[in-house]
Formats: sequence, C-alpha cells, structure tokens
Amino acid sequence: MSNWLRGKECVANNSEHDKRSDGPSRWSHCRKRGIDGNLRANTEANGSNGEKSRHSDNSYTHSDSRHSSFTTPESNGPVTRCNRRMDWGSQMEDEEMRRGVHKDMQRYRRRILAAEGNQRERKTSSGSSESCDSKEGDNMETDEAVLLRRQKQINYGKNTLAYDRYLKEVPKHMRQTGIHPKTPNKFKKYSRRSWDQQIKLWKVKLHAWDPPAEESQDKVLNNIEDLDIDDVMDIELDFPPLTDSQAPSASLATHSLSLEDEDCSGTPVKIQKTENAAESGVTANC
Amino acid sequence: MENSTEDYRIQSFDLDTQMLLKTALKDPGSVNLEKVSNIIVDQSLKDQMFSKEAGRICYTIVQAEVKQNNGNVFRRNLLNRLQQEFKVREDTRRRSLQEWVCYVTFICNIFDYLKVNNMPMVALVHPVYDCLIRLGQPDALMNEEEVDCLVLQLHRIGEQLEKVNVQRMDELFFLLRDGFLLQEGLTSMARLLLLEILEFRAGGWMLSSTAHKYYYSEIAD
Repeated sequence: MSNWLRGKECVANNSEHDKRSDGPSRWSHCRKRGIDGNLRANTEANGSNGEKSRHSDNSYTHSDSRHSSFTTPESNGPVTRCNRRMDWGSQMEDEEMRRGVHKDMQRYRRRILAAEGNQRERKTSSGSSESCDSKEGDNMETDEAVLLRRQKQINYGKNTLAYDRYLKEVPKHMRQTGIHPKTPNKFKKYSRRSWDQQIKLWKVKLHAWDPPAEESQDKVLNNIEDLDIDDVMDIELDFPPLTDSQAPSASLATHSLSLEDEDCSGTPVKIQKTENAAESGVTANC
Repeated sequence: MENSTEDYRIQSFDLDTQMLLKTALKDPGSVNLEKVSNIIVDQSLKDQMFSKEAGRICYTIVQAEVKQNNGNVFRRNLLNRLQQEFKVREDTRRRSLQEWVCYVTFICNIFDYLKVNNMPMVALVHPVYDCLIRLGQPDALMNEEEVDCLVLQLHRIGEQLEKVNVQRMDELFFLLRDGFLLQEGLTSMARLLLLEILEFRAGGWMLSSTAHKYYYSEIAD
C-alpha cells in the first residue's frame, strides 16, 4: 500500500476523532442543565458509561501512531457508546436509533410543556393548594447511553408478533391502565433495577397476545397496513406525574388518555379532550 | 412514472432477475434481500449507466421494506457489501479502471439517494471522500475516465458533502487546484473539467450564466 494511502487513513481517523470528541461534551452540558442543582457526575447513569467514554476519549488524544494501532484502519470509529459495531450497516442502524431517540426527546419535551400548562389551569380552578413549581422537564432522563439502552429493550419487545397483534386488537384509545400492557416511559428517571423490572413485566403482559400456534405470516403483514402512525411511535404520550409515585394512578389515567388520543379522531375521548382544551383556553383568556 | 425508469433499468437483467427485482420493489419481505443487494451491486460494478441510477432502485426497496415491516435488511446488506468493496478498492482500481469508476459512481449515487431521517448517512461520508480524493491524485488525474467521474460526482453531491464536512472538501480542492495548475501531461479536456469544477464550487455550487455559456455552448459568439 502506498504512503499516500496510509496518510489518508490518518486524515480519516483524525477527522473522525474530531467528530467523536464533541459528542460527550454536548451531552454533559445537557446533563448539567437537566438536574435540579445536582452535578450529575457521580450518579449511577454516569458512573460506568460516562467514565468509560472519558477514558476512551483520552486515549484518542494520544499520539496518532498509537491511536491508529487501536482501531481498524477502515472503520469510521464507534458511533455510539453502547454499540461498538464497525460495519456500515450496523453503524447506520445505531445512528438511526440515536436520531430517533433525540426526536422522541424533543417531542416528549413539547408534551410535558403542553401538559404542564393544562395541569396548572386545572389546579387553580379546583382550588388545590399544591404547588406546581416542580418541572417535569428537570426529572427527565437525558443520558444518551441510558436512553439508547432502554430503546433497544423496548424495540426487542415491540419486534414481536404478539405486539403486532396487540396493536391490532386493542387500539390505543381502548387501552386501560393496569389492564393492558403499557410501554415503560424511557424518559423518566428510574433506577436500572426498576427499569429492567418494568420491561420484564411489560413483556410478560405482552405474551398474552402471542399468536395461536398456527398464525400465518401473511395475515400479520396485512395487519401492518392498518396501523396508524401513533401506534408506531414508541413514546407513550402520557405526561409524567407530578408526584413521585411510580405506579400509574387512576387520576393520571384520564389525563394520559386525553393526551394519547390527540391523533385518533372520532373517539369519544377525543371529545373530552377538546372540551378540556376549550376550557383551559377560556381560563387562560380571563 | 417513476416505475417506467425503473423498468427501463431493470431491462438489462435476465428474466428471473427482473422478476426478483420487481418483487423486491413491491413485496420486499418475500424475497432474499441479501441476494437482491448483491445483484444490484454486481450490476453496478459492471454497468456504468446502471451505477448512475441504481440509487433510485435501492431507495425504493428501502422505503418498501420500512413500510412493510419496519425492516432494514436490504440497507444493511447493501452497506456492508459496499464496505467490502471499499476495502479492496485499490486492488479493484489496479485490476479494472472501469469497475473502479463504477464503484465510485455507485457509492456516490447511494449517498445521494439513501438518507436516514433526511440526513446523509454518516457511515458513507468519509468513504465517499476517500474515493473522490483518490480520484484527485496525480495518477488518477491522468485518466480522463477518472476525472470525468470525479467531476460528475462533485456536480451531483458536492454541495451535500461539503455541508457534512468542509475540511475534507477543502483537502480535495487543494489537490484539484494543484493538479490543474502544476501537473504536467494533463489533457486539455481534463484541465477543462477541472477548471469548470473549480469555478462551480467557487460559485457556491453553481455556474454563473457566462461560465455556463463558456463551458456548454459549442459555438460562442
């Protein structure tokens, strides 16, 4: 191989390195802003992943000759911190998931804002004395590594025949909290243990929709065309509870329903939702 | 109307393969998508006309697969096959200049057509630059075939590429300026192509109308 080529790899690796190194810093910035005053440097989410990434970044800043011996010459470098897969196909899958999670996150933030607005109106009209200061946005999980890990777990659960059947048989507006399985909310702060348990319970519940022994593939494929976009979106559109309780309470159920159904026109709950919106609109005008 | 161009491109395959590709476009879940991706890559490496348009077929299959079962088997196989070919690109170039040019045309076409969330695929940015920069090396500038390929790709995807990584575009254009100015033995056709692409980028990936007249009207007044 010519000298020229070798030089080329160095250039490629260098620019790769530049790209990598602004990743973590952007995220640590987000984390600082995200938490109520606490520096997150020592929390569990950061502990393992954050440390590791910092180390690897340091190794990247070492001399080029050393660094290149640690990487496959042709690779574009690791794309995410949870998956170090090198082939282009996997890289793009990781990238797609990463972008998807970021998109979900923005969407979820918008939801929270809208929901907080609604909630406040309700509180004042019912004369509740509870303070509304706590912002749910502050309690949001923003660590990319955690979100990607969770997303992967969710994807495993959703990539099943049982889930396809569930979507088909129980439309979103028909679901009842406590009765129907509900995808865990990846944006809420949970301990690793709690999260894994939620995923486990969710999957167990989904097994109720396992296809009977002989289910033809064709039928499943046909079903897919009937899905609406909202079903494919993996965020549960409830807004987070203001209390710390992890179990969904009854009062929340009505609320989450009204939000969830924003996109399903023609359902009874939709009407309820518009009423709410009108009501709060009026109060806002007063 | 899109189908007609696809049909036209597909004509170059034997009947069985045509059927396979047509099925892949309509019902990707029912065919072996790895086989399909290999067929498309193989054909692209042989047929330059095909390599210029293969991105559209790939795009259609990717879309169909996502719609059908949210899958990306085809894309994964396509990209990994492209990566394999990328690793042996110097051998390919030594063995067959035509195949090498076809490869570059194809990977650039894929870069142009396949997007992830409407963004260029990051995995392809550096490989595409590596290919183009290879085409800008002195030995490659001596072949009109390679120069022709280089400027065609830059006309098509130069602007997008620059947006994702300016430094490497600068690196490439340093080479092209040097080649244009200093390299001996370039044909005047190669110089013309280089000059045009230099002006093209300098004008913000556009030719002014006078430049256009200069390069494209056979009989100037």
